[in-house]
Amino acid sequence: MTNQYDVVVIGSGVIGSSIAYHLSESKQKEILVIDKGFPLSGTSGSTQAWVWVHNKTPSWYGELSMYSAELYPFLERKIGDVEYKRTGGIAPFFNESDREKALRLAEKQAEVGIDIEVLNREQVLEKEPALSPTIAGATYSKIDGNVNPFRLVELYIKAAKRNGAEFSFYNPVIDIDKDNGNFTITTKEGVFYAKQLILAGGPWTKGLGELLGIDIPVKQVRGQIIVTEPLAPLIKHTIGGMRQADNGEILIGYSKEEVGYDRRTTLDVIQDTAKMAVDYLPDLARANIVRCFSGIRVMPHDGFPILGEIPEIDNAFIAVMHSGITLSPLVGTLMTELLTEGETSIDLKRLRFNRFNECNV
Amino acid sequence: METDLLIIGGGPAGLNAAYEAASHGIETLVIEESFSMGGQLRQQTQVLDKLPKQFEKQRGTTLARTLIEKLSTLNVKVLLKHTMIGTYQDGRIGVSNGVKTIPITAKRIIVTTGAAEEASVFPGWTLPGVMTIGAAQILMNREYVQPGKNALVLGSNTFSLEIVKQFKEMGVTVRGIIESNSELISKHEKIIKSIKKDGIPLYLNSYIENATGVGEVQKVTLNHNGITEEMNIDLVCIGKGVAPILEPFEIMNCSFTYQIRLGGWVPQYSISMETSSPSAYIAGNAAGITSMGGILLTGQLAAVSVAESLGFLNEKLATEKRASLWKELHCIETTADLREVFNARMALIKDYHEEANLLPSSLFDLSLEEC
Ligand SMILES: Cc1cc2nc3c(=O)[nH]c(=O)nc-3n(C[C@H](O)[C@H](O)[C@H](O)COP(=O)(O)OP(=O)(O)OC[C@H]3O[C@@H](n4cnc5c(N)ncnc54)[C@H](O)[C@@H]3O)c2cc1C
Repeated sequence: MTNQYDVVVIGSGVIGSSIAYHLSESKQKEILVIDKGFPLSGTSGSTQAWVWVHNKTPSWYGELSMYSAELYPFLERKIGDVEYKRTGGIAPFFNESDREKALRLAEKQAEVGIDIEVLNREQVLEKEPALSPTIAGATYSKIDGNVNPFRLVELYIKAAKRNGAEFSFYNPVIDIDKDNGNFTITTKEGVFYAKQLILAGGPWTKGLGELLGIDIPVKQVRGQIIVTEPLAPLIKHTIGGMRQADNGEILIGYSKEEVGYDRRTTLDVIQDTAKMAVDYLPDLARANIVRCFSGIRVMPHDGFPILGEIPEIDNAFIAVMHSGITLSPLVGTLMTELLTEGETSIDLKRLRFNRFNECNV
Repeated sequence: METDLLIIGGGPAGLNAAYEAASHGIETLVIEESFSMGGQLRQQTQVLDKLPKQFEKQRGTTLARTLIEKLSTLNVKVLLKHTMIGTYQDGRIGVSNGVKTIPITAKRIIVTTGAAEEASVFPGWTLPGVMTIGAAQILMNREYVQPGKNALVLGSNTFSLEIVKQFKEMGVTVRGIIESNSELISKHEKIIKSIKKDGIPLYLNSYIENATGVGEVQKVTLNHNGITEEMNIDLVCIGKGVAPILEPFEIMNCSFTYQIRLGGWVPQYSISMETSSPSAYIAGNAAGITSMGGILLTGQLAAVSVAESLGFLNEKLATEKRASLWKELHCIETTADLREVFNARMALIKDYHEEANLLPSSLFDLSLEEC
């Protein structure tokens, strides 16, 4: 291993790994990815892993998610089977009064090409008979699906390695300096130099920013998930709130708590989540729960990805976001364009770091 | 439900801790996920020596009864078939009986969840007839069932070899002991000698390629030194050792450390057996894989510390008592071939005291003293 690289990526979650893979495809750059743990020890190993599009608002954000979802089948052909399934997504509502909102959503998303149907109770139950008859209706879109995050991250890394990218695991970055246009990255295992630096530290990105002297406007939001025992196929779609994995387990939940980096699960939330699950799918009342886990989302203050150059520090870049599973193929592609050509095929203006400064003015 | 002390796990460590605590007048609740108390003692028909001094030499099954009977006149409540499944935000412990989840408010908690056997995965490992070596022991000693006729044992630690001996007595033919290393794991010369004398094939540098069969295991393909061999087998026992059961400690946010001699990942704890989670104590195999003597003594140690922290025992008495229990533990573990376990335990505790800025303990140089 030399210690001079063109690009050093800090963080080997789904975002850092995807960037490394896409960047490695051209084989133009010497790439090193550094991770303080193993690739799934962060948020990417504790996620629902929906590739979810249809009700992401405003519509430009839905559009971005759609482009990313569209990339999945091609990605799978390139890196191997990541168990991506375009199941279609159902977001139920329980109150007739929500239908109006659903119709407005469909109208808005149609403007950017996202196809949404607003279903009544019978239509929903026809698609997904296990859902509770107490629902009033749902929005539905073919574009949604889910993926196996473990295979996804592993295959990103394997493919990147095949293309010559290097990885250093169990190696925390403890200091970053910049002089003469080169970054000096001090890690537990030694010092590395990079012409370009990408921060993709997920929930730890704020800490990485501090090493560079910048304040990154993100917060940590815990989410707790229930996993059932493997069940016979019960639901076919990705449903706002749950999905069934290939091995039959159902993953349930989308709680949100700002408790810092605390990965405990608590019975308060787990019991609420279980109740929600049974309200949606009455059959789940008989299922055994084998495991609960929690993950820490990294949530930019306005909810949208922070992607692109870091202001005032030349050649420093950031990629931090919620919904990184959905967005990873697109983020990897766009960051590659940015690093190799200096411009992107999709305008990143809305995602740029400096939008936060602009708001303050 | 409210109690002074909640003990999670009704095995030997939990029962002995309950006895010590309740003797000081502490209101104690024991929850046990199984249908009866006693834990692993319930299938240990062998005679256990090297027990703490207040116990006579006795069979494991008898010891289970002894421990349970000792509680009968004390203020100890037991809930069988109850499992700890989580904690609430306010620190209450959620215990499920399969129908309802009961929140329990406890001033102190001792977790004595013991250890679980490690699995080994190969194609066909989920077929009926593939089980852990401990499961085979339960079938024989508790259920009086012969687990199979033609067996392969995967792993060569002392416990596996003891069961191999017992297989012979039970009329189970052991067709081989398979070890992936180039030597046996067990260093117990007497047992190794007798296994060799019995002519049981030892396959070193070997592993199971797969197990196949319709509805149950019928054939196993073995790979030794690169050569494969197919055998007619109806019982595969996996003896890969045991590791502490950690879920309750994870749920309570305890910090962990890795100590291979204690069974891998273990919660950190102090000389008082207190974990990094306030009011939560640890004992038994959960605190590091040891002998029955060590299991019972750590239970007692944790209970003494709980009694002190709740004001049922003054500091001076508690410190004296702890010192004498640690001395006894030192003697038992060092004479039972567990010197390394004892040293690992001391290293863990010392590290934790330093990290957590706890007072150093005069007990740290115990390992230098003779018994
Ligand atoms: C409960 C839950 C459900 C979710 N559901 C979905 C969903 O359905 N669909 C979806 O698209 N998204 C979902 N998300 C979000 C998604 O999982 C995340 O956006 C994504 O995993 C973030 O990936 P990442 O690579 O940015 O972060 P991470 O996976 O956390 O990776 C960051 C890496 O950086 C490393 N690192 C940090 N600091 C350092 C350092 N100093 N030195 C070296 N390495 C360092 C870490 O070890 C880590 O491996 C969910 C999240 C949660 C918590």
